[in-house]
Amino acid sequence: MSGSGQAGAAGCGAPAGGIKVTDGAGNQAIVQGHVTSGGSPVPTGYARLLNADGEFVAEVPLGDDGGFTFYAAPGDWTLRVLAPGGIRADRVVSAELGKITELDLAV
Amino acid sequence: MSRSDVLVDADWVQSHLGDPGIVLVEVDEDTSAYGKGHIKGAVKVDWKKDLQDPVRRDFVDRAGFEALLSERGISNDDTVILYGGNNNWFAAYAYWYFKLYGHHNVKLLDGGRKKWELDSREMVTEVPTRAATSYHAQEQDGAIRAFRDDVVAAIGNLNLVDVRSPDEFAGRLLAPAHLPQEQAQRGGHVPTAKNVPWSKAAQEDGTFKSDDDLSSLYGDEAGLDFSKDTIAYCRIGERSAHTWFVLHELLNQPNVKNYDGSWTEYGSLVGVPIELGDGK
Repeated sequence: MSGSGQAGAAGCGAPAGGIKVTDGAGNQAIVQGHVTSGGSPVPTGYARLLNADGEFVAEVPLGDDGGFTFYAAPGDWTLRVLAPGGIRADRVVSAELGKITELDLAV
Repeated sequence: MSRSDVLVDADWVQSHLGDPGIVLVEVDEDTSAYGKGHIKGAVKVDWKKDLQDPVRRDFVDRAGFEALLSERGISNDDTVILYGGNNNWFAAYAYWYFKLYGHHNVKLLDGGRKKWELDSREMVTEVPTRAATSYHAQEQDGAIRAFRDDVVAAIGNLNLVDVRSPDEFAGRLLAPAHLPQEQAQRGGHVPTAKNVPWSKAAQEDGTFKSDDDLSSLYGDEAGLDFSKDTIAYCRIGERSAHTWFVLHELLNQPNVKNYDGSWTEYGSLVGVPIELGDGK
């Protein structure tokens, strides 16, 4: 079940922003994007993935470019962004197998 | 033990920065996070390079742990405050390590790096210099570590707590959703395990829920029998260290073990029973 295009994951050690997909989704359902504020990346903050019941599933710290990547299962998810200053923003997203769903949020 | 014996909050850390006898240690999932900024005076422990044997799948041995802490300038008498990203997963894992090797004066920063960052507290890039020590570790405490045979023997007998996400528990995913889907040969869970995702014990800012909420979560809601011993597991043992911390350190359950082999081992074993599907 190894996916294609990930930049070398081992164990549980994911870099900030998650492990970027570089050459297609392969057999995975990928949700990725960037968080910006006033047109600039938000490099300090967290992206959380909640399932259709609102339950927490995964979280990554945002990358220097405000980026995040999740390897989800097909279905509907809520992406929640937390950032300093009490910033909290939600966005609903659908993931599909073999597809990279891009999602950019301005907070 | 009370909550104040094992947890400190961000205000406490802020007011004790630089105090002699207190050592802040950052342990992250993202091992590059420390270099981008950390709490002033904190030293780094790399959960993989520093805490894992480089050849076998196992921990660093006692001598390795002694060498690590000596080199980082941590003495037996120091109060170690651990914190990290991802809601303290790897800090809890390191906490369990410290306990395993007999360092009892260790606490977690509640909420870890996330809470510190979301509070907009100061982070620095300056790496502190600490004089080397001669740290002496104890033999591993087998009372808090479970192996695969313990898990098989626990099926139907003890509390088994699978702290992964519901999709991992059911066998639909093999890894957390922020990581590529790889690792164990088979998906699913250990039969009779209850699924209580680690995240249910934490609030959105990474701090732990109240003792009353945690008791309800594992008792009334999940149906753990607190008169029985408990084994917690996840995929590689770090999320379950978070739950071990809750059950053993916050709720004072006496016999709780963390199965660090976890699903990457169990899900690749030949011949052991596996159950698929959602929790019951």
